[in-house]
Amino acid sequence: MSGVVLTPREPAGPPIDMTGVLPERLAEGGRDALAGAMPVRGRERHRLDALFTLQDGGPSGTLILRPGAAVLDGVGTGMSAGDILVEGDCGAYAGSGMSGGSLTVEGRCGAFAAAEMAGGRLRIAGDAGDFLGAPLAGGTRGMSGGSVTVAGSAGDRVGERMRRGLIAVHGRVGSLCGARMIAGTIVVGAGCGPGLGQAMRRGSILLSQALEAVPPGFVDGGMNDWLFLELMRRELTVGGAWPAGFPAVGTRARRLVGDRSVGGMGEVLILLKA
Amino acid sequence: MRLNGVHIEDTFAEAFPMLGTRLIVTADTPAWAEAAVLSMTGFATSVIACGCEAAVERPLPPDETPDARPGAAVLLFAMSRAELAKQVARRVGQCVMTCPGTACYAGLRDGPAIPLGNALRYFGDGWQIAKRIGTRRHWRIPVMDGEFLCEATTAAVDGVGGGNFIILAADRRAGLAAAQAAVTAIRALPGAILPFPGGVVRSGSKIGGKYKGLIASTNTAFCPTLRGTAPVSLVPEGVESILELVIDGVSAEAVAAAMRAGIAAVAGLGAAGGVVSVTAGNYGGKLGRYQFRLHEVMA
Repeated sequence: MSGVVLTPREPAGPPIDMTGVLPERLAEGGRDALAGAMPVRGRERHRLDALFTLQDGGPSGTLILRPGAAVLDGVGTGMSAGDILVEGDCGAYAGSGMSGGSLTVEGRCGAFAAAEMAGGRLRIAGDAGDFLGAPLAGGTRGMSGGSVTVAGSAGDRVGERMRRGLIAVHGRVGSLCGARMIAGTIVVGAGCGPGLGQAMRRGSILLSQALEAVPPGFVDGGMNDWLFLELMRRELTVGGAWPAGFPAVGTRARRLVGDRSVGGMGEVLILLKA
Repeated sequence: MRLNGVHIEDTFAEAFPMLGTRLIVTADTPAWAEAAVLSMTGFATSVIACGCEAAVERPLPPDETPDARPGAAVLLFAMSRAELAKQVARRVGQCVMTCPGTACYAGLRDGPAIPLGNALRYFGDGWQIAKRIGTRRHWRIPVMDGEFLCEATTAAVDGVGGGNFIILAADRRAGLAAAQAAVTAIRALPGAILPFPGGVVRSGSKIGGKYKGLIASTNTAFCPTLRGTAPVSLVPEGVESILELVIDGVSAEAVAAAMRAGIAAVAGLGAAGGVVSVTAGNYGGKLGRYQFRLHEVMA
């Protein structure tokens, strides 16, 4: 059994909420079951095959989305297994609530990508919007597992209230990266906006560029060797998540500890090239 | 059976189920890694009095360790999961964490979890940091030279303890040469260790003794100096020295392979090298679950 390629019949129009269009459905009930999914467009639910053409293609069990000009929200939302490949851009909520499987986006993603993600793997070849790995609106828990790699840049509040897992952004991140973070790891390849690690309790934020100033609430823990960075580099290099601007060898880093204004013991590690 | 003039007795080594684990210890230099693992595996020759049996399995080059530093693989065996957990925590805590620059990782993945960093993290007094890297969880414990990095758990496997063979030699020099040849051959193999000093035992034991409460006493039947006076002597004419190699392994196959390599190395010296025969220690087959018949091992 091959995979299924979904192409919107009418790319122009309101966004399509793809919640429920998942590879698990294809694995369990085949193409007919997938065609029976009822995504929302505008104010109405439609059968999937009314909105998309379904063609065989790709590896077995894989969903391939070719959005073209259409805006697809909620791609991979709640996904627990299987693979989705998006040959283009995604709207909001890509991979939100995801607990397993792999979602690969060859373009950009909107806001709330990987929001409340609990497991699996999200790879974004372009940029990501705000609230990457953060809680959904009204939620209190951010990402709690899995890994996210963004080859481009990301918006504000990356990893807000993050509890576990890994977010690697090769480019810049916006303001309040890691705000109220509880645990987990955020890797930022380029610069970051204001409010870095604000009110973070635990967790690690890895940078490769010195900050203009120690963020408010943080104390300078000085330079040292951090052996776990070698393990981290090995792990992330294999997955392509170790940013190109990061040192390829060495474990020396400057450690900033905070946010002490909330009794936090989180860390910002600024890696230095050997 | 005769190999190169050495008589291989038709008997068996009797061995026991044990729980084992492998740990990977790394450090800044091979010397510091060695210092840590030698300390960690010290006083770990026999579960009778040491709580566990442990030894270095092999040194590891940087490209075989998790953190790209020189290290060593260590195998530890105990009679129960609880005892193994206790010994792992004590030995890593006192001998590895204390050694400058070291880190400790699990060397086995599959099997019941044995606390490693999970048992030592409290030393961090609240400043320790958990860090999941991939699928593996580690503890970063602040120490005076930086951080002690330790994987959270290791895994226990059903191992085999007490595999053995006994070398009967014309004199002490010949016996020692044969034993050292066997040790060299066995240490080249994965999955098995020789927990005694230098890999060799000269004070083999029998169960009990004449004194009340004695768990084990000298193996009178194999003491050359007691030939003619002990009630039973298994020391043939022309034998002045007997040495035993005790082998623990992560599987029966690993123990059998080690015995095969060791006996082959002993036989390689041959009768001309002063080796008279090779036998094995057992309890009549009544105590141990495993029996390694020398003729089958060497077939």
